[in-house]
Amino acid sequence: MQVHRVLRSRLRVFDHLSIRLANMSTNTQSRKTMPSALNLHHHAKCSTTKARASTLELPHGSVPLPIFMPVATQASLKGLSYDQLRDTGCMLCLNNTYHLGLKPGQEVLDSVGGAHKLQGWDRNLLTDSGGFQMVSLLKLATVTEEGVRFLSPHDGSPMLLTPEHSISLQNSIGSDIIMQLDDVIATTSPDNDRIKEAMERSVRWLDRCIDAHKNPETQNLFCIIQGGLNLELRKQCCIEMVARDTPGIAIGGLSGGEAKEEFCKVVDTCTSLLPEHKPRYVMGVGYPEDIIVAVALGADMFDCVWPTRTARFGNAIVSAGTLNLRNSCYANDFTPIEEGCTCACCRPADQGGLGVTKAYMHHITAKETVGAHLLTVHNVHYLLNLMGAARQAIIEDRYPAFIRKFFSDIYQGDKTKYPEWAVGALRGVGMDLLED
Amino acid sequence: MEPSQFQSENMTFNVLGSSAPVLAPRVGKLVVAGRKALSTPHYVPLTSRGTVPHIAHDMLRKETALNSLYIGLEDFITKKSPAPVYNVPVSEGESPLRKFICASDDVPLILGPRRFPAIPCPPNNTDTSIAILTSVGFRQLLAHQYLDSIKTLKPDIAIGFADLVYGQQPGVKRRGKMVDRTHAYTQDALERLYGKSIPAEQKSNTAYFAPVLPLDNAQQSLYLDDLESDFKDRIAGLALYESDSLSYIPESLGDLPRLLLSQPGSPHDLLREISLGGDLLTLPFVGECSDAGIALDFTFPAPSDIQGTEPKALGIDLWSSDHAKDVSSLSEGCQCYACRNHHRAYFNHLLNAKEMAAWALLQIHNYHVMDLFFAGVRDSIQRGTFESDVESFNRKYASELPERTGEGPRLRGYQLASGPHKRGPRVYGRLDDVSQKFAESQSSIATPDTDASGLEHHGFAKKA
Repeated sequence: MQVHRVLRSRLRVFDHLSIRLANMSTNTQSRKTMPSALNLHHHAKCSTTKARASTLELPHGSVPLPIFMPVATQASLKGLSYDQLRDTGCMLCLNNTYHLGLKPGQEVLDSVGGAHKLQGWDRNLLTDSGGFQMVSLLKLATVTEEGVRFLSPHDGSPMLLTPEHSISLQNSIGSDIIMQLDDVIATTSPDNDRIKEAMERSVRWLDRCIDAHKNPETQNLFCIIQGGLNLELRKQCCIEMVARDTPGIAIGGLSGGEAKEEFCKVVDTCTSLLPEHKPRYVMGVGYPEDIIVAVALGADMFDCVWPTRTARFGNAIVSAGTLNLRNSCYANDFTPIEEGCTCACCRPADQGGLGVTKAYMHHITAKETVGAHLLTVHNVHYLLNLMGAARQAIIEDRYPAFIRKFFSDIYQGDKTKYPEWAVGALRGVGMDLLED
Repeated sequence: MEPSQFQSENMTFNVLGSSAPVLAPRVGKLVVAGRKALSTPHYVPLTSRGTVPHIAHDMLRKETALNSLYIGLEDFITKKSPAPVYNVPVSEGESPLRKFICASDDVPLILGPRRFPAIPCPPNNTDTSIAILTSVGFRQLLAHQYLDSIKTLKPDIAIGFADLVYGQQPGVKRRGKMVDRTHAYTQDALERLYGKSIPAEQKSNTAYFAPVLPLDNAQQSLYLDDLESDFKDRIAGLALYESDSLSYIPESLGDLPRLLLSQPGSPHDLLREISLGGDLLTLPFVGECSDAGIALDFTFPAPSDIQGTEPKALGIDLWSSDHAKDVSSLSEGCQCYACRNHHRAYFNHLLNAKEMAAWALLQIHNYHVMDLFFAGVRDSIQRGTFESDVESFNRKYASELPERTGEGPRLRGYQLASGPHKRGPRVYGRLDDVSQKFAESQSSIATPDTDASGLEHHGFAKKA
């Protein structure tokens, strides 16, 4: 109730906007109510920053928030078995709709009974809409009101991907969280009219996605806030989309290489307008530093291919940053990838671990597939462990201290090296990163 | 039926209930001090850079029964000397090699100078060294370096130097040289590892397997005679390079375990090697099948319910679109990790998507099939029905493994053997403009294998 009242008061502030926006939504009166297949339990809120610790109950188990979600693009996490993934503590991972739509395709997904059954994963799945991959295809694709028009790469025939297609595919996939199809454009685009058009179109497409969604009782549809780096557009988008009452809310279009300051402003602006009782997912982010700061800005969920991709190139994520284990300086380094890390690789043999050393990783990385598997295990574990520690810090109301320690570890205590964007963003939520 | 026993410092080998020491199948038990005992006949899993290809160490320990490892020293040689493997800090008596590759304490480690199958090297072997291929190019591995490695790295079993010719048949003169050199290598090795002049505390604890050359009996008779007389008390086993060599083993060496470093093309070949008395066998075809997307599907003895005149296939090609929607396990009732958790449709998808998990899971399944196969072989030998079981197996199953249709993982230089291995199609270096653009769209995002109608059929999008 409290939350609704707050929300209503916020909406009132933007009443004039709603009137202006009325023309971009479909009939507001006949909007169908959205059932939800999730529960969000709040445990704590940081007394300084906007960080929140909660538990998200989804159809395939409970997920502690804030959380990092590894990306199993094609229904497989880069060589790992799902038991190895379970061992890292992962409760929720991603599949890509675009990829699963191509291989194995909807017919197989329907026949097998969805992506959980396809890949033998009994925990939660989240799928994107396939729209983001279209950005990569922009040379071949054009976005129209109807959907994304593109030429079939195989034979050049014109094709059309609509919000209805995306939702239908995600219904076949059966993921616990599905994303609306949005009109994605690069945040760095200078064309403000195009950004506005994309934002408004994303709202209209959300309505089409809600209408097309066949399983709202088992699959949670998340809207995606668009609007580029224009905070006014972002605010309008928040208001329009919050009104549509999807079970969760994503902030999209933020992994396109925009400046970190801008990124933080967008997240901060959006989370201030979003209802407390819904999970907030920042799509395609990112590096540990980005995540830790975004949590302070009030975001809950993150995904990125970087930790798993970089593992395949021989890079280990540790508290001091990233180690390129192909570097010859590790050839004779017989210490674990990270001292004290509790992943299956780093744990010493006498504690039931494998006792993998940097030297051995140097020996096999980028040469044997097993090298990629082991480093992927470590990196995913590192990020999940980092999120777990952040959550614990929020619960114990010492998140600012946690952030200070985190940055101090990366920059060896040298505050002059701290990134300005992080200092600025954290100052905006009432915390001074440079304080001792 | 006199059970024979061979015993050295750290290794014992018992042959159970076989009257004929050579040229007959036999069941035995190989016990290495501190390791789990190995029932023979058994296969020896082959490693690449200390890993069993595609099987991560945690999966290997939890979900496979692999109980020994063959390791080629050349995989560890680097530009800088000493190579990292020699610098691993260890406690007294611990094997630096074992610690470096994170192998469990249970499995015996078998060290050879070269990986198996070895890739032919253009440089020639010499009287004091053999040519090896490392990940940084061709090198010469000196005989005394190898012996020092055995002492430092402390494998459980080491295979002696042999002057082998790869990829072609040696001529008459070369054959003579092979025998002379191998004889000299062996004599030198035994002296340096266990000789009278070596102080007791410096003697190697590693069991030494002497090579038997892939030559006629007559050509290497002098060497074999010496193995029998002078070397017998210091060698713990024999390493053979072709199954024919099994018939040249002198009777007095019959109680030694025999490791056959050969490349059987099918389970039928393998049964032949076992029937001639092979104890430890190498199976490159297992890894090749996994890479090619083939799940092995046979049991020994052949199940009685295989009916009809059509012989049963030895494996399933999971690339075939027949499996796209097939939610049955790889082989019925299989209890391996892959079959307990996944179905054929998933394998078909993983292969099409070029996901590494396909190879990892297939390796686990294929090695599981071989575990059961060898358990069946040992039972059959002990029951005394081996000969008829082999006959029935040969009759009921196809004579060849299924043909490889799909593309496997990209092979590295040091993995490229001669024969069936081929490098995959080149994925870079396309310079002309048109294919560049195409490659760009292919590499940055997945592209459909199908045309517009296919995409529509997939429900991915509709024709506009």
